[in-house]
Amino acid sequence: MTPSATTKTRHRIGLTQELIVFVVAVLLFLYFSVALNGFLSPENILNLIRNVAMLGMLSLGMAVVVIGRGVDLSLVAVMAVSLTLSIVLANQGYAFSTALALGLAFAVAVAVVMGFLIAYVEIPAIFATLAVSAIVYGLGRGVIASLDVNNIPDNLHWFLFLGRGAVLGIPMPIWLFAICSAALYLFLRKTGLGRFIYGIGDNISTARITGIPVRPIIILQYVISSAMAFLAGCATAASVASMNMRMVNSTLIYDVLLVVILGGIGLTGGRGGVRNILVGTILIGLLLNGMTILNISYTVQNLLKSTVLLLALVIDALLNPRDEQTSQQGDI
Amino acid sequence: MTPIVELKAATKDFRGNPAFLDVDFQLLPGEIHALLGENGAGKSTLTKVIAGVYPLSSGKLFINGREERLGTPAEGLAKGIAMVYQENSLVPSMTVAQNIYLGKEKPLNRLRGIYISAQQFLQSLNFHVDPSAVVGSLGAAQKQMVEIARAVHHKAKVIIFDEPTATLTPEEKSYFFKLIKKLKEEGVSIIFISHALEEALLVADRITILRDGRLVASDKASAFDRQKIIQAMVGRTRTDEIYSGASRTRAPRPRGPKVLSVENLSMGNMVRNTSFSLYAGQVTGIFGLVGSGRTETLKVVSGVLKRDFFHGGEVKIDGQPKRYLVPAPAVRDGVVYVTEERKAEGFFETMSIAENIYMGHLGGQPYGGLSIISMRQARSLAEDWRKRLNIRAIDPNAKVIELSGGNQQKVVIAKALVQKPKLVIFDEPTRGVDVGAIAEIHAFINQLADQGIAIAVISSYLPEILTLSDRILIARQGKIVEEMDRRNATEESIMYAAVH
Ligand SMILES: Nc1ncnc2c1ncn2[C@@H]1O[C@H](COP(=O)(O)OP(=O)(O)OP(=O)(O)O)[C@@H](O)[C@H]1O
Ligand SMILES: [Mg+2]
Repeated sequence: MTPSATTKTRHRIGLTQELIVFVVAVLLFLYFSVALNGFLSPENILNLIRNVAMLGMLSLGMAVVVIGRGVDLSLVAVMAVSLTLSIVLANQGYAFSTALALGLAFAVAVAVVMGFLIAYVEIPAIFATLAVSAIVYGLGRGVIASLDVNNIPDNLHWFLFLGRGAVLGIPMPIWLFAICSAALYLFLRKTGLGRFIYGIGDNISTARITGIPVRPIIILQYVISSAMAFLAGCATAASVASMNMRMVNSTLIYDVLLVVILGGIGLTGGRGGVRNILVGTILIGLLLNGMTILNISYTVQNLLKSTVLLLALVIDALLNPRDEQTSQQGDI
Repeated sequence: MTPIVELKAATKDFRGNPAFLDVDFQLLPGEIHALLGENGAGKSTLTKVIAGVYPLSSGKLFINGREERLGTPAEGLAKGIAMVYQENSLVPSMTVAQNIYLGKEKPLNRLRGIYISAQQFLQSLNFHVDPSAVVGSLGAAQKQMVEIARAVHHKAKVIIFDEPTATLTPEEKSYFFKLIKKLKEEGVSIIFISHALEEALLVADRITILRDGRLVASDKASAFDRQKIIQAMVGRTRTDEIYSGASRTRAPRPRGPKVLSVENLSMGNMVRNTSFSLYAGQVTGIFGLVGSGRTETLKVVSGVLKRDFFHGGEVKIDGQPKRYLVPAPAVRDGVVYVTEERKAEGFFETMSIAENIYMGHLGGQPYGGLSIISMRQARSLAEDWRKRLNIRAIDPNAKVIELSGGNQQKVVIAKALVQKPKLVIFDEPTRGVDVGAIAEIHAFINQLADQGIAIAVISSYLPEILTLSDRILIARQGKIVEEMDRRNATEESIMYAAVH
């Protein structure tokens, strides 16, 4: 197909894909409410909300990077280790707000190093972030803390409120997710920097010639995703009063990719936005929760998820060929 | 004779807007058929339908007298129809030889083997391209040669060339025309699209002209002359003045202050110790054959190509020494480069005309990233530039990739000029632009120079250099070797300087 032809189909399907995902999510919710015992129980709804909020915040971070034609596989490691750092510091006697600030600074520093490797040293994002992820986890387990699970010191009610409290009857994690979504929506849609990220994702050479400071903005993308990882970590730690680094070895990062791709943000970059993340998060969050209640074993869950991820990737590759040039190979 | 390809009452529309309408078209076996028309007339779309890229919206397509419905270019190729697209479709990371054999690889390819046979094949076409070079490193003209070689290599019965000569030098053009005549003798039918009317009159057996998506004339080439073609293309008699370089008689503009001076600049083996200057309020034409390093030199000047540290030379803008590592600071200093490769680095394909121009605006602001987007400003900028450059789209919200080639070119120009530069480097500014629009763009460039902007125009097309320039620089082997005054330059003297 020619570029023009694909752009067109892409445009149409982009819209409908969002809609389809949303409709499927609603149907799934209705189905689970009726068919699953305990789905609507207060504990489960709380659990669902907590997971959805964390998944959603991580996915927002991933979305920013993917729109700029990168990928950030270090999100989960950064989330777990930066929060662990804060907790460990707090347990050593630092004020918790100072400890949090240092945790955030750690996350940002990691992002700057990673962004530098990608933008200036020109290492492909997938390898750079994977390597950094391993290093960060190594630091976490080897240097920062000796245990996987670290508990938040007692009496931090204001912090726990972020995970367990509610305002206007709506749980705090949902507020956090909503605020982050709104902020990123405005950032991507309404600021020059946001537009530049789309430009870089669309065509990095054009962006360069147009005078866009491409490399600093690539670093900025990773700073934003790491900061989102840190916030997601806050929401999680606040709701269970601890941080578990074993999360790094879970399949969470694949769930995040699943949200981004299924939500309709093509890996080709330059497309999609916060709305795609909202529908993707709801669908995947529901699916994960439902499978847990159905008592589907962890292994089978992973099998199902990876199959869906693979399908989503294949569909994405068909709809948004990574490179027009290669997609034209058949032309001549 | 049954036509090898025939369209009957054919229409193709995009979202209800017809790109061409109710067209009856015939391609006879073994003929060279020129397809002409203004930008956006529907030429590319018509030929893409024949090549199988798009299905028809209504009407019928016959190949060898049999009705066909092609869904993909691969199906077209299976029926013996190959197309060289207006925008190149090579894989930049592969070598020339690999691109030529793309899709025809044997399970086990001997790399050396394909280099040798590619070398022989390219030589037989008289194309001077190194088969082991990576395509991404080639200039536009050489890429075009690889494209053509690839189509010929497929041994198609019908080959469609969409503006094949736009990037070629006169010498390469004459090889190309010899090549298609040879193909014709071998029984291949050829459609070629061009904005150079003389070419069409010279090589075509028959000529078909489209206007606003309708077929307005189709006849033997001998039935046409330049005047008739233009009349059919634009549908009204225009004074021939804008088409025939009348401005050549205008006195050259005097030099303004020196905006750019380049001294002993070197980079790799494309730029070799070159020195020259550009002045405000003047158009400086830069001519050179492929490989003369004109594009590379000016890309280094504008920061698009990075100079490595051990290569010396000095670039001064307004007397200040500058060494741009990336284009961003150059753009902010008012130096913009308008690329010759619009698809690779000219526009943002997922964005509309307005968004593209607005990106240019933001990129040109000192802290453009920190500004708040105003869609109203974007729309009014777009409206302004749409009028100034006469950018035509059947749908104003269309993405740039959906525009016709010539209109994409205008968007690229608008996106650069919205940055209010003081030095503009146009690299092949009228590539793929129709005769009328060439005149418009030339008039526009002249206006810019009259406003005191320094302008460099790189062009392989001598008449363009001669009509536009106040002053002509000639590049050869990585160096500016000669400067000429427009008044005593002729096509012959320029060519002589470029070759010897
Ligand atoms: N994929 C597409 N989607 C929407 N509109 C399109 C698409 N392709 C072409 N068009 C529109 O169809 C019209 C004809 O375009 P086409 O590319 O055929 O023109 P052309 O004659 O080749 O012009 P040029 O000389 O500038 O290359 C244009 O108005 C263009 O915007
Ligand atoms: Mg065209």
